[in-house]
Amino acid sequence: MTKLAIENFSFRYRDSGPDELSQITWTPAAGSFNLLIGASGSGKSTLLKAMTGLLPQFGGTVTSGEITLDDLPIATVAPFERAKRVALLFQNPNRQFAMATPLEQITFALENIQAPAADIPHQVDEALATIGITALANQNLITLSGGEKQKVALATILALGSDYILLDEPFANVDPHARHELMHLLKQLQMHHGKTIIVADHDFSGYPDLIDTVYQLVDHQLTQTDASVLSANTGVDPLFPAPSRNALSPLALDDVSIDMAGRPLIESATFALPAGQLGLLSGVNGSGKSTLFAAITHQRPYRGLLHWDGQDSQKIKMKRWAQTVGLVFQDAMDQFVALTVADELALSQKHTRLPDYWTTARIEQTLDQLNLTPHTEANVYQLSGGQQKKLQVLSMLIMSQPVLLLDEPLAGLDTVSMQHVLDLIQTSIQANHISALMISHQRIGLADYVDYEIHLQGHHLIMGGAQ
Amino acid sequence: MQTVQQNNTRWHLKDVIFLAIIAIFFGIIYQLWGYMYYALAATPLKPFANDLTLGVWLMAGPMAGVLLKKVGATFLGELLAATVEMLLFSSWGVSTLLSGSIQGLGSELGFAMTGYKNWDKLGLTLSVITSTIVTLGWDLFSNGYLHYQPMMLVGLFAARLLSVGFFAGVLVYWIKRLLDQTGLMK
Amino acid sequence: MTFNPSVLLIILLGIGFPMAFTQSITANVVVCVLALLYLMLHHANLKTIGLVTLISLPLALGTGWSFIAFGTGDVWLQAWLQVSRLFAYLFLGMSLTLTTPVKDMLMSFVLHLHLSPTFAYGLLAAFNLLPRIQRQVKTIRYSANLRGMTYHLWQPQLYFKAILSAIQWSDDLAQGMASHGFSEGFPRTMTYQDTLPKWQWLVAGILIIGYVGMSFFI
Ligand SMILES: Nc1ncnc2c1ncn2[C@@H]1O[C@H](COP(=O)(O)OP(=O)(O)OP(=O)(O)O)[C@@H](O)[C@H]1O
Ligand SMILES: Nc1ncnc2c1ncn2[C@@H]1O[C@H](COP(=O)(O)OP(=O)(O)OP(=O)(O)O)[C@@H](O)[C@H]1O
Ligand SMILES: [Mg+2]
Ligand SMILES: [Mg+2]
Repeated sequence: MTKLAIENFSFRYRDSGPDELSQITWTPAAGSFNLLIGASGSGKSTLLKAMTGLLPQFGGTVTSGEITLDDLPIATVAPFERAKRVALLFQNPNRQFAMATPLEQITFALENIQAPAADIPHQVDEALATIGITALANQNLITLSGGEKQKVALATILALGSDYILLDEPFANVDPHARHELMHLLKQLQMHHGKTIIVADHDFSGYPDLIDTVYQLVDHQLTQTDASVLSANTGVDPLFPAPSRNALSPLALDDVSIDMAGRPLIESATFALPAGQLGLLSGVNGSGKSTLFAAITHQRPYRGLLHWDGQDSQKIKMKRWAQTVGLVFQDAMDQFVALTVADELALSQKHTRLPDYWTTARIEQTLDQLNLTPHTEANVYQLSGGQQKKLQVLSMLIMSQPVLLLDEPLAGLDTVSMQHVLDLIQTSIQANHISALMISHQRIGLADYVDYEIHLQGHHLIMGGAQ
Repeated sequence: MQTVQQNNTRWHLKDVIFLAIIAIFFGIIYQLWGYMYYALAATPLKPFANDLTLGVWLMAGPMAGVLLKKVGATFLGELLAATVEMLLFSSWGVSTLLSGSIQGLGSELGFAMTGYKNWDKLGLTLSVITSTIVTLGWDLFSNGYLHYQPMMLVGLFAARLLSVGFFAGVLVYWIKRLLDQTGLMK
Repeated sequence: MTFNPSVLLIILLGIGFPMAFTQSITANVVVCVLALLYLMLHHANLKTIGLVTLISLPLALGTGWSFIAFGTGDVWLQAWLQVSRLFAYLFLGMSLTLTTPVKDMLMSFVLHLHLSPTFAYGLLAAFNLLPRIQRQVKTIRYSANLRGMTYHLWQPQLYFKAILSAIQWSDDLAQGMASHGFSEGFPRTMTYQDTLPKWQWLVAGILIIGYVGMSFFI
């Protein structure tokens, strides 16, 4: 059995300044299922990457202690030897594959660990079958949904035979159904294949029954905590009504259909956006939510009509349309146009539609609420995932387009940050009469904020959710 | 278990992917320029269209050089961009591959003249000059420039120097400066 | 008859380089014809060939015309020479790109031309990102619009953002590949296999020497 041990480990990204991880000592029990929690920016991703040997290889420095794999410093172990023992599933399902199809990807991984060529096809089949994705073997990875991609990543890890499976918010962009399935799969791997599992997550639902131990990162340090902390972020799934037809914004879809790769993805969507409210757009992974936003923002072609004030929106120039309908991108990196947090906000303030509302004082106060004040001079590209989300939402809210589309603004936020972001969205859209529509897989905690729900299912928009 | 020694002079996987992605990006952005080029290219002014936009083609090399600061990065960056160009938008066929190598050599030469010590203004300036001269030399034969009237050649040289100077010199320098501020390039 | 991609590349470069210096229209036309024949033989997509040829027509026109307008000596000869050269390069290139998937090319180069797996898989990973990179250029310009700005092609911002994406993606991909066991400088299993009988190198040699002989001595 492989042994992964962390001894008094400290790590930092920058040459100077405080450590991001401080004196961590942890030897995960073999064959256990562990949950790693901590506020955004607390260092979960950093710890998991260090445990896989990706850090400091890909940046930063170790300031004390070491992480060892079978008593060898993990940084010196060749990647193919590491992969056979420790594997990491990344938060972003899009950026972990080098090859074009699941079959090619798993084959590639097996070639890397120098598996005998004759055994590879059989091993690939077995891994695909265990995860239940044999049917996807030859499908192009680009066309798979987020949940399916994470399954392919799991199958690859399984094929590699890694004893330790680390997962960095693997479900952040995955719908509840796929999430449930994947968690069940992980439990199977632990119970029947003897794997040691470590998952970092903000959404605790489903874990209490699965896990053996909870670890928490606070103030750069790791402590084992009681599983009772998990009850904080579990609760009932709220129900939302259909959108009201009383007060409507100027934006309306009239028989809009969208094709993806030659097949219909969304068919004859007809819908008028309620004014001054926050709506929820739900639907499983790959149902076309982001694609619908792309069509509304004129970033991809569609059939049918998209009205603004009764006029065909295509008649409006791109630059003006972007000032009419705002978008918070699913990927925060796509949003940023400046270098530092302060510059980013200054740009929004310069071009905002509502300079009287978004005064410097208000922006500073909001930054404080979002816990971003210590980071104003920080580089936007070096913020943690959660910090980036918060900044992204704030910079678009400052722009104050009359319609705002938000693509998973809550993904990867801890409970407290999520509350802050929702409060901020609610306050500013109500004060400024902005009509907003938000995609979110997370539903718990939304009850007080969301006014209505639209559910995307079977190529159609269903008003009022799936219930 | 087998272990590794860190070796920083080699080409790492990350550098290769980085160069290739930059090459693809530049290939795609070049297409945006393509419209302007096409409008001019169907007329006898084609050589001018060629020389005035040439600088865009030459950006990938020096960009890769100043970002990676490695011997051969400039050449390889340009060659990769050309390979991408050939595989994606094969409207110039193998000649892209050949001219890519020549352009890469030309740009690399400038940095080599500083002993690979200066990746800043001096290196870029020299690189602009060497690549202008080397590529024009190649075009004398491959594009038959030898058969143009001498005055025309002088005009083409000026147009080329201007274009390479702006795109592969000034613009690359501006981009590099922005990138330096992010602290992401180490 | 199918050439191994590695042999094909050597043929392309072996003929392509001297072609830059040749003054023989006949030789260029022969290359065009042979390359087209090879493409037909391999059922290359006729529509693509037609389209690329069509797109190149204005370029060919401009090339020829410029020599007639600004050339010295026998301007018509130069015009035809350059036009035939343009198409010879074009069809020569297509005989590789339209008959061989990128993955097969790169793997063949690893097997027969000593391309390092680091380069082959790095390039392959980047190529597999192609559709996303294309979309990204659009996204970058749109994100500026959202903030009331426009990125022009002569300003550094668009390139800067593109390079930032490249940094991010290459970092993520390299980390992903490392965590899937890809190890630079270590041996790995190759399941990809192709055939390269020795006679193909011989044919390549004959073709290249034949071309040089035809274009410079006839
Ligand atoms: N590449 C980097 N360079 C510099 N600083 C970084 C880098 N990546 C992360 N950081 C900083 O390190 C700290 C820990 O970040 P990390 O991504 O590990 O947090 P996290 O717990 O995973 O957060 P989240 O839940 O938001 O994903 C943060 O303050 C972040 O700003
Ligand atoms: N370039 C592409 N080529 C083919 N199919 C694609 C492409 N891009 C996306 N798709 C597919 O289109 C469908 C809709 O994708 P979209 O991103 O809109 O889904 P989504 O509902 O936002 O999912 P998620 O919850 O995972 O974000 C998915 O099945 C996706 O795999
Ligand atoms: Mg994280
Ligand atoms: Mg989406």
